[in-house]
Amino acid sequence: MKKLSVILLVLFLGMNANAQDIEASRDTSKRLEEVKIIGVAKRKIETDMKMAVSVDEFLASSENISFIKRGAYAWEPLLNNMSSERSTLTIDGMHIFGACTDKMDPITSYVESNNLSTIDIKSGQEGSLHGATIGGSIDLKRKNTPFGLEKKFSGAYQTGFEFNNKQFFNLANASYAGDKIVADGSISFRKADNYFDGNQDEVNHSQYNKFNTSLALAYKISPLSSVRVDAIFDQAKDVGYPALPMDLWLSRAIITSASYKQLFEEGLVRVWDTKLYFNAIEHYMDDTTRPENLVHMDMPGWSTTYGLVSNINLQKDRYSSEIQLNAYENVSIAEMRMYPQDRNKRTMFAYSWPWVTTRFTGLSMNNSWEISDRSQLNFGGSLGLNYNHSKYVEFNWIFHPGAPQEKNRLLPGLHASYQLSIDQFDFSVGTGYGQRAPSVSEGYGYYIYNSFDRYDYIGNPDLKDEISYEANASAGFKNEKLSIEGKVNYFHIQNYIIGRVLSLGSPMNYQSVGVKGYTSLSHARLFNMSLNANYDILHHLHWKGTLNYARGTDDKDGNLPFIRPLNYQTSLHWMYNKFSFQTSVSGDFTQENYSPEYGEDQTPSYMIWNISADYNFNFKSFKTVLQVGAENVTNKYYSTYADWGNIPRMGRNIFTSLKVNF
Amino acid sequence: MKKIILFLAAVCFAVASCTKEKTDYEAEIDTVVTEHYEFKEAASINSEDYKISIEALNGTFYKGYNEIHLIITNTQNNEKVNVSAATFLPIMTHADGSNISCPHQYDLLYKPDDNYFSGYSVFTSESNVNEEWELYISFTVANQTYTAKQSISVQDQPNKNLNMTAFTGKDDEQYFIALVSPQKPKIAENELVAGIYKFNKSTNSPSGTFPDPSQFSYTEVSGYTLMLDPRMPEPSMGNHSSLNNKNLVQQSDGLYHGVVNYTMTGNWTLNFIMLNQNGQILKGTKVPGDFTPGVEGVKSELYIDILF
Repeated sequence: MKKLSVILLVLFLGMNANAQDIEASRDTSKRLEEVKIIGVAKRKIETDMKMAVSVDEFLASSENISFIKRGAYAWEPLLNNMSSERSTLTIDGMHIFGACTDKMDPITSYVESNNLSTIDIKSGQEGSLHGATIGGSIDLKRKNTPFGLEKKFSGAYQTGFEFNNKQFFNLANASYAGDKIVADGSISFRKADNYFDGNQDEVNHSQYNKFNTSLALAYKISPLSSVRVDAIFDQAKDVGYPALPMDLWLSRAIITSASYKQLFEEGLVRVWDTKLYFNAIEHYMDDTTRPENLVHMDMPGWSTTYGLVSNINLQKDRYSSEIQLNAYENVSIAEMRMYPQDRNKRTMFAYSWPWVTTRFTGLSMNNSWEISDRSQLNFGGSLGLNYNHSKYVEFNWIFHPGAPQEKNRLLPGLHASYQLSIDQFDFSVGTGYGQRAPSVSEGYGYYIYNSFDRYDYIGNPDLKDEISYEANASAGFKNEKLSIEGKVNYFHIQNYIIGRVLSLGSPMNYQSVGVKGYTSLSHARLFNMSLNANYDILHHLHWKGTLNYARGTDDKDGNLPFIRPLNYQTSLHWMYNKFSFQTSVSGDFTQENYSPEYGEDQTPSYMIWNISADYNFNFKSFKTVLQVGAENVTNKYYSTYADWGNIPRMGRNIFTSLKVNF
Repeated sequence: MKKIILFLAAVCFAVASCTKEKTDYEAEIDTVVTEHYEFKEAASINSEDYKISIEALNGTFYKGYNEIHLIITNTQNNEKVNVSAATFLPIMTHADGSNISCPHQYDLLYKPDDNYFSGYSVFTSESNVNEEWELYISFTVANQTYTAKQSISVQDQPNKNLNMTAFTGKDDEQYFIALVSPQKPKIAENELVAGIYKFNKSTNSPSGTFPDPSQFSYTEVSGYTLMLDPRMPEPSMGNHSSLNNKNLVQQSDGLYHGVVNYTMTGNWTLNFIMLNQNGQILKGTKVPGDFTPGVEGVKSELYIDILF
C-alpha cells in the first residue's frame, strides 16, 4: 500500500515532483491522497515522443484507442475499435455528452492536457464502474494536488510552436497546497492555421482556436474529510472540419462539480467520495465560411447534464471493493435550419435531436480478492436503469409511426477475471457480459448527415439493447531488461447497432445520397489483439514496440467499418547527460478488411517517422525542458482508414516546445 | 476564498446562459401560420323580422374552403327562429355582368345541437373591383319562404395550408380541389383533408328569378382518389420528399382524407394525380423521384403549394 501511494503521488505530481519532495511530503499527505486499489492504468499526459501533446494525441498513444478524424481537432476516440457510443467517456466519473449530432465534440475536446493528471482506460466490462458500457471506459482524471505539501506553490508554463499549421500554444498551470486549502488552476490557449499535407497542399478548413481554463479549490474540514469545487471552462472558436460541409463557429463548455470526500482509518469502508455535478455544452456549427455551399445551414446543439456520483471504497485483508452509484440526467437538443436561396423566404427548420432526455441510474461494483501472493480474482457487476424521453416525438414518428415517447431499459453487466503471476510470467483471463442502451442519435436522431458515407441517419426509438459477451486474456513476461505482453479480447455483440440503407424517404441534406436508419444486426463480432515489448538495450537506451490487430465482422461475415488495419509502432529512446533523443516509426498496413457497404474504401498502407530531442537544464532555479522534433519527417502523403473523406493527414511538422517548472 | 467562489458562481451563470437562443418550436410554425378556431359573424342580412347571421372562421370569408354557419334570429325578441330549411348560394359577378358561382353547399344542414345551419363555400377568388361576391340566402319559417341577398368581401387566404386549385380534367369537366385541414401542420404525420368538387354543367337555360340554382350547381365528387406525393420544391432541397404518405380517399363526411408527412418546416408542394371512380387519370402527372440537389423540384400538372 505504501508503495502504491508513493507511485500514485509521483503520478499526481507529474513533472513537477522530484524524489525528495515525495519523501518529505509522504507522511503529511498520506491521508488525503487518492486511494485506488483496483488495478488502474495511469499515465502522465505526455507521449514518449512529445511532451506538449493535445489530449487527442495522448490518447492516440494508447494501444486500445484509435480515432475517427474529421480534421485536426476533436477526434472521436474509439476504444477496442468501437465507436464512442459503446464506451463511457467521463471526466472524474462525471458524464458529459457532446452537443454535436455529428460527434464533432467528444468530451476529450473540452479538456486540455494541463488540467488533467491521467487518463484511465479500461477495456470492456471492467469499465462498467461509470455506467453501462460495451467497449469499456475512458475516464479523464483531473489534476488533484494533495493537501499539505512541503512545497506550497508549484506550477508549470509551457509554450511552443508547430511549424506545419503554425500552431502556437501557451499552457500554464499552478497549484497551491496548503494544510487546509488546496487550489489548482490552469489556463491555455492554442491557435492553429490550416495544415499542409505531404504534398505541400494546404488542407482548407483545418484551423482551430481553443481556450481552456480550470480552477479547483479544496478545503480540508477535518483530518479525514475534505470538500472540493471544480470548474472547467472551454471555448473553441472557428474550428474547421475539412471533411464536413460546415465548420464550428463556437463551442463552449462549462463543467462544474462539488464533492465531499471522507476517509476512514479503520473498518471496512475506507473512502467515501460523493460528487454533484453540472455541465452544459453549446455547440454551433454553420457554413458561413463555405460560400460554395448550395444551402446556408445552421446546426446548433445543446447538451446539459446534471448528475451524482458516489463512490465507496471497501477494504479488508486481501479483499477490496469499489461500489459506485451513478445518476445523471441529460437533455440533448440539436436543431437544423436551412436558408432558401431567396433569403426573404421562409427558412426550413427541423430538430435533429428533438429534445431528448436521458436519465440513468446505476449501481456498479468492482471487487478484487488476492487469493494468494501470486493470484488475484477480480469480479464485479453493474445494474443500470436507462430512461429516454423524446419531447417532440412526432419527429420520430415520421419514420417510426407509433414509436413510444418514453422508453425504459434495464442494463445489467457482469465481469470476472483471474490474474496469475508465476515467477517472471503474468497471465490473466477474463469474461464479461453487458448491455447498453442506444445513444441519443441512434434512438432519436433525425436526418443526421454523416459525411463519411454521405447518408442522412435516422434513429429508431425501438432499437433493442446491445448485448455483449466478451472474453479476454493476456500473457506477459518480464525481467530486468525485457518485458513482453500480449493481450487479446473478443466481443460477441448481439443486436449490434449500425446504419443501414432505408428504401424509404429521401435525403434532406443536399450533399447526401440517401437515408440510412439505425438498425440492429443480429450480431457482430470484434476481435482485438495487441503485442507490446520493451527492451533496455543499454542503461540509457530503450526500445519499445507495439503491434495491434483487429477484426470486426457483421452477421453475414462482412466487414464492420472503422476497424483499424494491422498497425505497429516502434521507438527508441536514448538519454545522454541532459539530452534525450527519441525516434519512432509507426504505420498501418493496407486495409484488407474494409467495408464498401458502410462507405469505406481501401486505405493504403503508410509509415511515418518521427524524431525529437529534449534538453533539460536549470534556468535560474527552474527546471526547464526544451524540445525540438519533427513528425512525419519524410513528409509522407497519407490518410488513415478512419479519416472522413480521405482527408490527408499532416505532412512534415517541426515542433518546438519549452516547459518551465517551478 | 469567498470572493473566488462568488466569482466562480458568476462565471457559471454567465456561461450557463446560452449564446444562441434555442428555437421555440411551438412558436416557430406560428410565424407563418395563424390558426383560427372561432366562428364569428362574417356577414349579416336583415330580412323583414329576421336577422340572418353568417358565421365563418375568424369572421372572414377567405378564398378557398370556408365552413359556414347560418343562424337566423327574430329581431323582435332576439330569439332563434325555428327554421325548417335554408339554402345558400354564392354568386360572383364579373365586371362584364356575367355570373358564376363556386363550389358550395346549396341546401344547408340543420345542426340541432347547436341550433344553426351548416354548409361550406369554396370561394375561387378574392373580391376585387372586377369580381364581386354576393350571397343569396333563402329560408323557410312556418311554411313561408324568405329570400335575402348580401354582398360580401372575400379575402385572400394568408394561410397557404388552406390553398385551393381549379382546373379542367381530361373529361372536360371543371374541378376544384380545396385544402380543408390541417390549418397548422406540424413536422409530423398530418391528416390531410381536402374537398374535391365538380361543376355540373346545366343542360337547360336559366328560368325563374335570378339566380336559378340549376345554373350554379356544384357537387362533391364521389369515389375519386387523389394520389399524393409531397415534395420540397426549393432547389437546395433537391426534390426532398417524405414517407408513409397516404392517398386521399373519400370518407362519410364527403371530404377526402389522407396522410401527409412533413419532415421540416418550409415550402412544400403537394403533387396530386386525380383518378375517377374507375381509376382513370383525370389530371396530374407523376413527378420524378430522384434526389436532384440544386434543381428546383418538378411539379405535377396538378399541385397545391403549402407553407408552414
